[in-house]
Amino acid sequence: MQTVIKTEGLSKTYTNTAVPVHALKDVNLEFKEGEFTAIVGPSGSGKTTFLNVIGGLDKPTKGKVVIDDIDIATMKESKLFDFRMRHIGFVFQAYNLIPVLTAVENVSFIMLLQKRPKKEMEQRAKEMLEQVGLSDKLNTRPAQLSGGQQQRVAVARALASRPDFVLADEPTANLDTESAFNLLDIMARLNKEENITLIFSTHDQRVIDRARRVITLVDGAVDKDEHFERN
Amino acid sequence: MYTLIKISLRNIWRNRSRTLVITTALVLGIMGGIFSAAIRLAAEEQQFEDTIENMVSHIQIHHPEFIANPEAHYRIPDGKRIAEEIGDQAGTAALSARLVMDGMAASANMNTGVRIKGIQKEAESQTTKLDQLLEEGTYFEEDWRLPSVVIGRQLAKDLLVETGSRIVLTFQDIDGEIVSSSFRVEALYTVTSRRFEERTVFVKADVLGELVGETDAVTEIAILIEDAERYREVTDDLRTQYPDLEIRHWADMEPALYYSLEVLDQMLIYLVGVIILGVSFGLLNTILMSILERVRELGILLSIGMKRMKVFSMVVMETTMVALIGGVAGLILSFFMIRILNQHGVNIPGGEGLEDFGFASVLYPDLPTSFYFEIGGVVILFAILASIYPAWKAIRLAPAEAVRAE
Ligand SMILES: Nc1ncnc2c1ncn2[C@@H]1O[C@H](COP(=O)(O)OP(=O)(O)O)[C@@H](O)[C@H]1O
Ligand SMILES: [Mg+2]
Repeated sequence: MQTVIKTEGLSKTYTNTAVPVHALKDVNLEFKEGEFTAIVGPSGSGKTTFLNVIGGLDKPTKGKVVIDDIDIATMKESKLFDFRMRHIGFVFQAYNLIPVLTAVENVSFIMLLQKRPKKEMEQRAKEMLEQVGLSDKLNTRPAQLSGGQQQRVAVARALASRPDFVLADEPTANLDTESAFNLLDIMARLNKEENITLIFSTHDQRVIDRARRVITLVDGAVDKDEHFERN
Repeated sequence: MYTLIKISLRNIWRNRSRTLVITTALVLGIMGGIFSAAIRLAAEEQQFEDTIENMVSHIQIHHPEFIANPEAHYRIPDGKRIAEEIGDQAGTAALSARLVMDGMAASANMNTGVRIKGIQKEAESQTTKLDQLLEEGTYFEEDWRLPSVVIGRQLAKDLLVETGSRIVLTFQDIDGEIVSSSFRVEALYTVTSRRFEERTVFVKADVLGELVGETDAVTEIAILIEDAERYREVTDDLRTQYPDLEIRHWADMEPALYYSLEVLDQMLIYLVGVIILGVSFGLLNTILMSILERVRELGILLSIGMKRMKVFSMVVMETTMVALIGGVAGLILSFFMIRILNQHGVNIPGGEGLEDFGFASVLYPDLPTSFYFEIGGVVILFAILASIYPAWKAIRLAPAEAVRAE
């Protein structure tokens, strides 16, 4: 299996606070193609910081984030925008979608930024919404969708442009149990069917066992890195 | 690009009440600006027509001594030839070579000091349009035994005379000898300045010339130029051409009028400036609020790879569209406002007192079409400028921070 992301001695210290906060401490991890990984840990353990840094949304204080043999920590910000658009899919905790666009327009949005042909874009967006079970909501605006449905649209958007990997920061945090399971099932299935590398963070015990690899962060350091056989 | 426009339009619709506030501010701003400009223009035009074009002309030429001693003695040397020279110059619209002097006008009942202007019928009607200012009587048509005089309506009242009455004009000939001669009132003219009406009488130049002892005598050349804005340059040119003569433009001759126009101009510039600034700050504030409301949304756009420049254009585009909607609505409403005001007239408060300065008390504003576009353009431009700061704020968001925002 090919390595998709590799971190070396990754550290992040926030200094804009009264006391410096060491949010990440010497994190060395590798993620392989097709992996489905949960980053777990209590609130404040550094999950969001980790995902932001490997997603190129934030710079590490020290260390490397190597994607495609490139250390994105040294990449210029203008290049990073392009890089994120082409290689990384994002799902955030809530309010992922552009309120004034319909589900299908939201799913097409990244492909639109990538200037894909219109036909292909529409077809792929519809296909992805079908995959997440929302083929009847193509022209619905986010405000008319439930929280779980919105998160599914966000997952469809993240995967539609076929990124190298998808980062999801607490995607189930605002969902009821049923929606949370449903979302994770969809993510697990897409991980398999589309062979997409997926990394999500959670402190939600309910959904952790859906992942095939679970990395536990404590105070910004890797505490455990476990692999499970699941199907 | 198409999607940006779509997002902008839908955001405008999503925030209808905010859109309405901005649009209203723009409409009022444009209407205020256009109203001010229309009034200013109407005042200026009326000013020029009544005072400058009908009475003073753009430029006047005299013998230097004539200003202090308006007598036939102080003639312009070679006046006829100089008048012809200037009349032939490009840029001269009309010209009247006159024999002007101060004197007395007497009726059977009264007498009063007047300025007697000996004119050539044709030249004068082209220059001051005296023939069109007549309220009563004919323009040097009568072939009476006595020569004709055209006097102001107010002077007729003062002297208790009417058309057909005989009056006696008394003045000095070129050697300073007193001459008196009878004239018959052929017409009464009227202008906005009562003082001018009271003091100025017109007779034919050849009649007056004979009476003062020099038929071709010229003491005053009044000039209308084609491009009224260039009066200072033209005056300067004439001064170099004729260094021995006293050459003055209307602003020299009518300083009170000139300054009142300047003050009006200044006031209106400040007024329009304040309106535009007010509208712009209102806009800036509203847009900034809308950005702060959408920090998370914009953060997500930046995270998923939308370039800062695109987010910037999106914010500016939103404002531009609102500005266009408000701008077009403002222009259309202004157009009808001016049409209505043009038909009914605008009363200038305290306007009666201004008539002595040549101001009319009722103005009929009118605007060339280009003005609508200029003012509309300026307001829309300021609206777009007002969106730049909020848009800049939006693109300075750090994506990692913005997506954390709740
Ligand atoms: N922008 C920031 N400035 C300062 N401290 C921060 C910032 N973001 C996070 N932190 C701190 O860094 C630590 C890790 O936070 P975070 O990555 O959000 O953890 P988690 O996502 O696991 O809850 C926490 O102590 C948090 O308070
Ligand atoms: Mg977090």
